[in-house]
Amino acid sequence: MTLSRRSFLAMCTGASAAPFLIDPRPAFAQQTPKKGGTLRVGFYIEAATMDPHLSGSKIDRQVYHNVYEPLVTLDVKLGIRPGLAESWQQPDNRTLIFKLRRGVRFHDGTEFNAQAAKFNFDRMKTEPKSVRKGEVASIEAVDVVDPATVKISLKRPDAALLATLTDRAGMMVSPKVIQERGAELERNARGAGTGPFEFVEWVKDDHILLKRNESYWNKQGGPYLDRVRYRPIPDDTVKLQSLQGGEIDVIDYVQPRDVAAVKADRNVVVVDVPSLADFSYQVNHARPPFNVKALRQAVACGLDIEQIVKGVWLNVGVPANGPIPPTSWAYDKTIPPIKRDLARARAKLAEGGKAGGFSFTLTTNNIPINIQEAEVMQAQLGEAGITMKIKLVDSATLLADGNSKNFDLISYQWSGRPDPDGNTYQFFKTTPGTSLNWSGISNAQIDALLDKTREASSQADRKKLFSDLTKILQDELPMIFIIHPIEPKAFSPRVQGYEPIPDGMMRFKDVWLK
Amino acid sequence: MLVIVTSGVFLLLHLTPGDPIDVMMAESADATVKENLRRELGLDRPLAVQYIRWMGRLLRGDLGRSIRNGEPVIENVSRRIRPSLELALLAMAISLVVAFPMGILSAVRRGTGADRVGTTFALFGICMPNFLLALLLIFLFGVTLRWLPISGYTDPLEEPLAGMRSLALPAITLGLALAAVVTRTLRSSLLEALAEDYVRTARAKGLSEWKIIRGHVLKNALIPVVTVLGLQLGTLIGGAVITEYVFALPGVGRLVVDAVFARDYPLVQGVVLLIALGFIASNLLVDVLYGWIDPRIRHR
Repeated sequence: MTLSRRSFLAMCTGASAAPFLIDPRPAFAQQTPKKGGTLRVGFYIEAATMDPHLSGSKIDRQVYHNVYEPLVTLDVKLGIRPGLAESWQQPDNRTLIFKLRRGVRFHDGTEFNAQAAKFNFDRMKTEPKSVRKGEVASIEAVDVVDPATVKISLKRPDAALLATLTDRAGMMVSPKVIQERGAELERNARGAGTGPFEFVEWVKDDHILLKRNESYWNKQGGPYLDRVRYRPIPDDTVKLQSLQGGEIDVIDYVQPRDVAAVKADRNVVVVDVPSLADFSYQVNHARPPFNVKALRQAVACGLDIEQIVKGVWLNVGVPANGPIPPTSWAYDKTIPPIKRDLARARAKLAEGGKAGGFSFTLTTNNIPINIQEAEVMQAQLGEAGITMKIKLVDSATLLADGNSKNFDLISYQWSGRPDPDGNTYQFFKTTPGTSLNWSGISNAQIDALLDKTREASSQADRKKLFSDLTKILQDELPMIFIIHPIEPKAFSPRVQGYEPIPDGMMRFKDVWLK
Repeated sequence: MLVIVTSGVFLLLHLTPGDPIDVMMAESADATVKENLRRELGLDRPLAVQYIRWMGRLLRGDLGRSIRNGEPVIENVSRRIRPSLELALLAMAISLVVAFPMGILSAVRRGTGADRVGTTFALFGICMPNFLLALLLIFLFGVTLRWLPISGYTDPLEEPLAGMRSLALPAITLGLALAAVVTRTLRSSLLEALAEDYVRTARAKGLSEWKIIRGHVLKNALIPVVTVLGLQLGTLIGGAVITEYVFALPGVGRLVVDAVFARDYPLVQGVVLLIALGFIASNLLVDVLYGWIDPRIRHR
């Protein structure tokens, strides 16, 4: 099953209060599911760690969402649903009370309860290597009210916290495994989760194997698969050929250049999963030439984003109007992406004191699609009288240049978070020192808006605030927003029951093999 | 030499922009966590101190731990060396099986159709990029005919048949490229030897062409071939980066590329040390073979 660009755009434009999504169920769920089989999944890279509290890699999350479970989960419309917590209450904007599901056991046989939840939150906050510290920074204390109730007290209002708890920060790990196994959990997650699949083994550089959790608490639907086997296949073409050759059943991503050909292949089912991602360029406000607002605006007006999305990304995504993707409830479809306007670009050049044009350097990853995009941008800006040099670097250098603010314009590809806060706050809030705010923007109006988005309790109020923010960002330009990409995933026709959730994570609980 | 290699690599790596902690925690903005990690791994120390500590550990036989996965470097490397070694030996075997008959035939039947086939093959093998040949082989034998696995690795010592099947396509890819080089080298050195006086004498004595080649010419023509093979073996032990990447083989080549991208300093240093040792070992082997092929070398 595939989704055409037209349908995708129609869904995007149709998304107002309700986010757009693709519902693949008619294609996948017509038959009665059956148990058995091994699902073979190809990823571009190997996982980094099996400890969700220490994980900083997107690929780890793909495995976690089948082994571990968060307190709350996302549905296909990005709504928040009960997970290990069967309900929650917010008596005030600084308190969150979770009623936990009873009868849930970790794979090691120990019981999941309020004590285990508290243990996990405390570890995320205190473990020196915890990568989750920033995500749970607003939590003051976690108290056990009774064996099935935890109360989370917040230092400050944090409307984004619930959405944050749908991923690694909300995933519960067996305290017994952490205490007994310690650092070994990074390589061996046996017994550690509560999810529909249990970790079996990780043969480094070769595969990760999961098996069905026979005592899974949720008796509705799956898990149906006997096993799930993840394999790293770094080359995209070979990964695709492995799917076409029947060696694997699922691949996590199809490159835009391959999408059309794969959709034409009857032996492969492509599902276009709209993502939460935001691919853009951070603009360095801290040094010339982009410490001058008019010159930032000249570049934005000189670029034809629609053409970039069409010609470089082959429409596997939509032009971005800001950091918030069309999948989000906070997306404002009334704000168009910045349109190309060469006359305005020239006027802005004159306003910025560079009527004859100026020169700057774009730093970007040395990968084919980034190079193509940079070359198109170079040509487009050339027509506006702006000279753009291209500096190609590997990821490590890109991160080093970004963190040290050693750039003019730098590529930034963010995988996105379910709450718009995750796509905005850490990038645009005034932050001294090293942060993801590589542009160095420091704007009192933006700071105030960002704080308000965390304090506001109603979604409608927050949406309004994010719309205001998007408009200011289009004017101030800490980033030049390019595309919200689609993440096409490809399956063997044997694979049934997959539900694409826009966070891009592949949950296999209800997946079965024909 | 090893000291020069390791010092050079250490300095070059640390002078390259990029930070292993940034790569590990690309999604995190928490500067405190990053600083803690940097301190824990000793990356906050001056470069000279880091180098002296690394050398000190090396002298005790400790290559340190990988920054990325925390495992000892020696474990990472030893896990990866076997697939690379098996691939190197199999590719070498394939290249010899293909190159010797083709090189000899090309030289003996110089200017004929057989020679043209041999030289065309050699030209094709040298010009064809590895990745392209690999993708063509995958498409033919993996996707279309489905005879051989497309990617991944099974240890031939544990499952001989599955193991050989998993290595077949990468070994053919490497083996054919190597065969092309060996064919050309063997042909030209055979042609040179065939023009020697002792060959004319042997022919005058009425020896058959095959006897002349086998008994006199081939051994004399082997020195350049052994040199080429020795250098190639050293390179292959260090990992055939592109082939391992394309076929998702967990070998040393992929390990070093991933380690460089992640700025995993101890791991890169460990692998480079191994590659340098591989080169030294293969050069030693070549020197020993020189003595066996041409006893005069032993007496010099």
